[in-house]
Amino acid sequence: MKTFVIALLLQLSLFADVSIGEKAPEFMLGSMDSQTAYSLNSLQDKVVLLNIWASWCSGCKQEMPKLIKLQNDYHSKFQIVAVNIDKNPDNGLEFLQEVENKIGYMSHFINLHDPKKSVPKLYSCMGMPSSYLIDKHGIIRDIIIGSVDENGIQELKTEIEKMEKE
Amino acid sequence: MKYLLLIALLFFSGCGNHLVRVQPYEKEYFAQDKMKLNPLDERAEQESHIFLIREASAGGDSAFQGGCGCR
Repeated sequence: MKTFVIALLLQLSLFADVSIGEKAPEFMLGSMDSQTAYSLNSLQDKVVLLNIWASWCSGCKQEMPKLIKLQNDYHSKFQIVAVNIDKNPDNGLEFLQEVENKIGYMSHFINLHDPKKSVPKLYSCMGMPSSYLIDKHGIIRDIIIGSVDENGIQELKTEIEKMEKE
Repeated sequence: MKYLLLIALLFFSGCGNHLVRVQPYEKEYFAQDKMKLNPLDERAEQESHIFLIREASAGGDSAFQGGCGCR
């Protein structure tokens, strides 16, 4: 019986996904230019939007200009942490450069590179791109699977403003 | 033995989704142009046009039409 319970617990642990209201799993990654390492804990006093993206993902192309604009609108207590999962970081950098040239201003994200895809595995990423809105206490407040459209950006703005006041 | 079998079954059913299914973040190579069924859009269009002339029928080249030419 004991073995059975242990096996059942093991089985259930395989289905463990992150969900809204839970503590965001901690990670540490290097930046895309391999110069600095960042951890999620270091951004505790900010509202964070963790965005998992890749240069080969068509949804990422659609949402990236909107996210760059969102970061520029809310730069004081809000930070977008963009985790690129391309094998080659140059592809991601080229993609960002292209988007920045197109919209005419720079992105102010924390750009991290995760070629081993440890963050999407840790967060049980269900689609590309995926975004996780994390409050100042490190609690996941919203999960967005797929690209964010204009309505989604408006909803995010409302949430961010609410969370900044908390 | 019965319990062991049950445990093994439960265990592997849990692994199935994670090991067999290609996760969305693992599709880097699938997203490449060379992985398309028709890598060259222009060529696919030409081939479709030639098929239409040769067979004297329209349709049949997609999942939405029956191929009878009657649409």
